[in-house]
Amino acid sequence: MDMKRDYYEDIQMLPSAWEGFWFVVLLAALALFPLLGGNYYCYLANLIAINAIVAIGLNLLVGYTGQVSLGHAGFFAIGAYTSAMLYGKYGLSILIALPAAGFTAALFGFLLGLPCLRLEGPYLTIATMGFGMTVTQTIGHWSFLGGRMGINTPKLQILSWQLSKDTEIYYLIIAVAVLMTIGARNLVRTRVGRALVAIRDSDIAASTTGVNLTYYKTLAFAVSAFYTGVAGALFAPVLGFISPENFNLITSIVFLGMVVVGGLGSIFGSIAGAALMTILQIQLSAVQDLWLIGPLISSISTRWFNVGGMANVSNIIIGSIMVAIVIFEPMGINGLYLRSKRFFKSWPF
Amino acid sequence: MRRGVWIGIMILMLAVGGAGMALAADVRGVTDTEITIGQWGPQTGPAALWGAVARGTDLYFKMINEEGGINGRKIKYVLRDDGYNPAKTKAIAKEFVENIGVFAVVGGVGTGPGMAVRDYLTENKVPWVGPSTGSSHFTRPTNPYIFGVYPLYKDEAYLLTKYAYENKGKKIAFFYQNDDYGKEGLEGAEIALKELGGALVAKVSVEVPDTDLSSHALKLKESGADVVIMWLLPKHAAIILGESAKLGYKPQWISSNTLSDAPVMMNITKGLWAGVITSMFGDLPNEDTPLMKKYREAHQKMAASERWGSFYYAGIIWAEPLVESLKMAGKDVTTEKVLTSLETMNKWRGIGPPLTYTKDEHQGAKSVKISQVLENGDVKPLSDWLQITK
Repeated sequence: MDMKRDYYEDIQMLPSAWEGFWFVVLLAALALFPLLGGNYYCYLANLIAINAIVAIGLNLLVGYTGQVSLGHAGFFAIGAYTSAMLYGKYGLSILIALPAAGFTAALFGFLLGLPCLRLEGPYLTIATMGFGMTVTQTIGHWSFLGGRMGINTPKLQILSWQLSKDTEIYYLIIAVAVLMTIGARNLVRTRVGRALVAIRDSDIAASTTGVNLTYYKTLAFAVSAFYTGVAGALFAPVLGFISPENFNLITSIVFLGMVVVGGLGSIFGSIAGAALMTILQIQLSAVQDLWLIGPLISSISTRWFNVGGMANVSNIIIGSIMVAIVIFEPMGINGLYLRSKRFFKSWPF
Repeated sequence: MRRGVWIGIMILMLAVGGAGMALAADVRGVTDTEITIGQWGPQTGPAALWGAVARGTDLYFKMINEEGGINGRKIKYVLRDDGYNPAKTKAIAKEFVENIGVFAVVGGVGTGPGMAVRDYLTENKVPWVGPSTGSSHFTRPTNPYIFGVYPLYKDEAYLLTKYAYENKGKKIAFFYQNDDYGKEGLEGAEIALKELGGALVAKVSVEVPDTDLSSHALKLKESGADVVIMWLLPKHAAIILGESAKLGYKPQWISSNTLSDAPVMMNITKGLWAGVITSMFGDLPNEDTPLMKKYREAHQKMAASERWGSFYYAGIIWAEPLVESLKMAGKDVTTEKVLTSLETMNKWRGIGPPLTYTKDEHQGAKSVKISQVLENGDVKPLSDWLQITK
């Protein structure tokens, strides 16, 4: 029943009517979420969606093209500041600021992609890391952008629609996230996507079969940066205040963590990884309120680690989840999903 | 049948609406037995050193509860770790307001995290006492819900510079972190010297990521300053003291109260911190005022594993005026009553600086104490509360 009869069936956006049905159900659930969730959960959902856009963009680069980047906080910052400046300082609509932020980040992605053409592995990682740190350094020294102190970003407005609450910004962010997810899914099933995968598997083999390495590698950087830039542009109004501190090396590492935990080379995995990491980061700060086990682990941690208490626990949990996933399921959450799907398909045999 | 369903739905809606209204009439975070108060603080991340603030508040509230609470109500304290990450701080603020329902927020370390939630908390009318930063962004201009307990960096630098000029030497250099924190300090120092008819002999700035400060030390030495005032992070203070010692340059070092935790500074400077003059935002840790004694006893009894450092009991200082205003507000606590009680405070003191609030002035603290670090890591007082004349 899952047999592919020809090539076009293999690359369909929605392989079956069922998947189409579930896609519609998912959209409906996303649309109804604010009615149930309220402001707090919508804020959480907004952060997840923003991180998911970054994770998808980063996965295009890391998972599909095989180029590791520890500099995505830089693109994130470029996007955030571009949009904050355009709609905050110059009063442009967010509908213009959003793509502008994406393209500005993409331009920097392209520029970073050029020197990175010849770099691989750890060298590439260091170069991109340097890029990320350069961006925050530059912003920190540039008083036009608010310097180290950061800038407040005003409330959003689309035409006469005021987006002051999280439940309202939610619709903008989810709409963008859905569009960008579809865009990425479309990209990876086309000629471009296959070229990227070919480069990942072996760039020499790819170039002998006619894949232009220069073009596709820089393209991967630019597209990845575009995604991250758009996410940054959405992040600015969600937070309401941005400063270089928000975009440090840890941010880049967390982005990479999302991709690895979610599953390299998988769009579903990117979203799942972003969701898991965001929820853990935010919700674990309340772990001491859990019924029964909360006070217990909190007292263990205060007694045996340091007086910081909960802080130890949340770091230990996040860390062990990441280690466990990398050891037991190198394909991340996506791997878990595929395995359980296969299991139920052949059940009970 | 269908009509029955409709009636059922109507009743349900009325009930829900009624419950909503009943809730709205109450004050958020106040029940007959409890008042909920929240604070975020970095228990992890780059600023974890200052996480002690939020835990100090915990000790204070525990002590209040043990004494029977405030007008019959116990304080329920919610502490959340934001890791000094503004995105997390904002999530915490939303959780406080929308999920937990806090009556007020106290303390909260850091300018960046605070700025991310300032407008949100104000929109939701949450009283916020004692943002744990000397930045002027919280009480200038006056925000009806925010009350400053921490002396502004600018005022603090003014007082320290004046003290140095009158007591330690006329040739003063200023060494600062190149951001708002450092610049507000620099501004205060320049105002003080202008009034006294002097000027800084050198202004040297350092960037947060810098680690090599040998050229900075050389510049300070060449300026010939007798006094160097520092507005820095702990690591930079430690490095510059080390570099200057190598050059044989030994001015009188003076530092902002962000480095007032003497044992920590002694530790990371390997003893070079002895003799440094710092300002304090509260009574000295070893001072024998009745309140200080009482708090130290509570600390021994309830949180002996914590170190009694200046940041730990800062958590008490930020919370004192809030508790006082809750006491003044009486049995029927409302936000308005607490705000007006705070605004009647005139030279009120706990273990922090004297606090005076009015309707238009919410920066209650305008004074600092000056102290000097001894060889054994203790501090000795050099002055009583010095107030800016304004």
